[in-house]
Amino acid sequence: MRIVIAEDSAVVRACLVEILVDHGHEVAAAVGDAGALRAAVAAEHPDVAIVDVRMPPGYTDEGLRAAVELRHSDPGLGVLMFSQYVETRDAADLLGASRGGASGVGYLLKDRVTDVGEFIDALARVAAGGTALDPEVVGQLLGASRRADGLATLTPREREVLRLMAEGRSNRAIAARFAISERVVQKHVGNIFSKLGLPPSDADHRRVLAVLRYLEG
Amino acid sequence: MDGVTLTAGRPGRASPRRRARPRWPGPARLLREPFTRRAWAEFGYTIACVPLAVAGFVFTVGTLLIGAGLTLTIVGVVIGPLLIAASTPGVLGLGGATRWLARRLLGIKVTGPPPPRRNPGVTGWFWSALNDATAWRTRGYLALKLPVSLVAAYVAGWFWLGGLAYLTYPLWWEIFHNVSYRADGVTHPDPVTNPGPFGSVHVLTLPGSFALIPVGVVALLAAPWVTSAVVAVDRALIGRLLGPVSMSERVQDLARTRAHAVDDSAARLRQIERDLHDGAQAQLVAVAMRLGLAKEKLRGAGAAEPDPAGAEPDPAGAGPDPAGAAGAGPRQPDIDRAFELVDAAQRTAREAIAELRDLARGIHPPALDRGLDAALATLAARSAVPVDLVVDVPQRPSPAIETIAYFCTAELLANVAKHSGAPRATVEVVHVPGLLRVRVSDAGQGGARPVPGSGLAGLAERVRTVDGRLDISSPGGGPTAVTVELPSHA
Repeated sequence: MRIVIAEDSAVVRACLVEILVDHGHEVAAAVGDAGALRAAVAAEHPDVAIVDVRMPPGYTDEGLRAAVELRHSDPGLGVLMFSQYVETRDAADLLGASRGGASGVGYLLKDRVTDVGEFIDALARVAAGGTALDPEVVGQLLGASRRADGLATLTPREREVLRLMAEGRSNRAIAARFAISERVVQKHVGNIFSKLGLPPSDADHRRVLAVLRYLEG
Repeated sequence: MDGVTLTAGRPGRASPRRRARPRWPGPARLLREPFTRRAWAEFGYTIACVPLAVAGFVFTVGTLLIGAGLTLTIVGVVIGPLLIAASTPGVLGLGGATRWLARRLLGIKVTGPPPPRRNPGVTGWFWSALNDATAWRTRGYLALKLPVSLVAAYVAGWFWLGGLAYLTYPLWWEIFHNVSYRADGVTHPDPVTNPGPFGSVHVLTLPGSFALIPVGVVALLAAPWVTSAVVAVDRALIGRLLGPVSMSERVQDLARTRAHAVDDSAARLRQIERDLHDGAQAQLVAVAMRLGLAKEKLRGAGAAEPDPAGAEPDPAGAGPDPAGAAGAGPRQPDIDRAFELVDAAQRTAREAIAELRDLARGIHPPALDRGLDAALATLAARSAVPVDLVVDVPQRPSPAIETIAYFCTAELLANVAKHSGAPRATVEVVHVPGLLRVRVSDAGQGGARPVPGSGLAGLAERVRTVDGRLDISSPGGGPTAVTVELPSHA
């Protein structure tokens, strides 16, 4: 697939390009600031944009704001944000403000990128219209949630499945993670939804939103 | 500098060395003195002060009278004080000009008082300009300076110029001598009256004019001393009225430099965090990424993964290479070993990244650049106890204050987690004009005390460096609430 990268650190940018090219993707452009990102996306029409949250000139959230804009103007574009630090509000902004909700959106810690397999998998999920949330983000949301009593009704395995669902994983991926069958996963998912009173959802990204909304109270 | 009896730099203060000198200078000194640069500088000062004194007097007294007069009328009751307030910069400028002149010509090193704290807004400017103690003292100086300066210029001028004129009197005789014509047709010289220090001297003829020469010599020899004497009055006035001697100004100066130090340190910490992020963290991430790529290559070359107990499960479902384990070639152990090493290196790099990240967050959380609400949201999410967060900060306080508020909240939340035993904590942050209030409360066991050396005591100290307050309400067994109040600017 065609990818545009926006990352201000030249060293990390070069590594990203290496990894992507090595896995057979085409890097249409690799830029260093938000303005160049907008121009590159307009010119190259990539499938996915990989964007760093913090970029020049202000080094606050230029990348995030550019990503939200891009999502508004082009909901078909997959956006994978990554950041040195997980900031709770950023993830919420990205998911909430963009049209199409959690479809084709990802938010990863930069550390996660160092696990090449995880990174490529997240990229694939985002490109396919799914969701890829960093486990650390989900952990923060679970920890801060007011629904402690609701969550307490889940078994430990169900809590783990919930966590992976919130990260945007498909049933098949969850099954592979725990070395169980997909049908068992579906059963767990059903139990979770009924225990927490969530509406049943078919698409992975929609259930991510449902879970996240639940966790935020 | 010559060892003159009047000390420069500390007018009004007797130098202990003065008593050791002889009271009267010796004849060599007397003769030399009129030719010294210092004497001429002082004389020049008296002359140069006159226009400055006139301008200062007119400006100061003028604005005061007009301002006061306007205030008494109904129409100008607002304009009057405004005029006086607006004259403050001019007054301070004139004071600065006087200090400059004194520094250049007299060698007085009187530093100006520090600039006053400017309060924001129009009313703030108005009151601070009106209440500026420095400006009022300068006005006093400028009002007194005119008479002092005129007298000084007259006296000094007489001694110097008059002395010079008498010294060269015979040369001028042609111009000065009077001749009157009387009725008998004989010209009679009329006496020319010349004022002197001990009565006038009447000169009739040219030879007589030579008598004035000694008068001139005496005047010239005395001139430097007389000039110093009259300038001493001005020195005393400058020292008392134009220098920063009062305690309140010293306090103002200290407050200003402290605010500067606090803001400076906050900016430095932010820079350090930025440098860490751009430099060390980026490099480590690149290292870890390349190691990840290397691992993939080795996997592809048939490396068997080490025992995954403790390693991350692979969500992409790649799993161990099916063909590799069976087909063990002669290079297989090397490849396996290489994979182990690369894996270990990558794990070390990741740990370093995580540690650096926590370190940088402890120095300056980057979300703080976006505001307290963003930074506190993340802090609350990562807290060991769930946190109810309420942030009402319509306008941001200064960065240094935000930093202090953030770290106070972090420390207080850590205390809740460690000591209170409460299931939840509440954090309320409110910013009203001029004041930022942070309140961390919990329903735990209470009993929090600011024991010397404890974290709470350190927090109180840090809050006090910016004139903030720390209130602790923590009865044993009851709910605890710690309130931190900080000014909007350091």
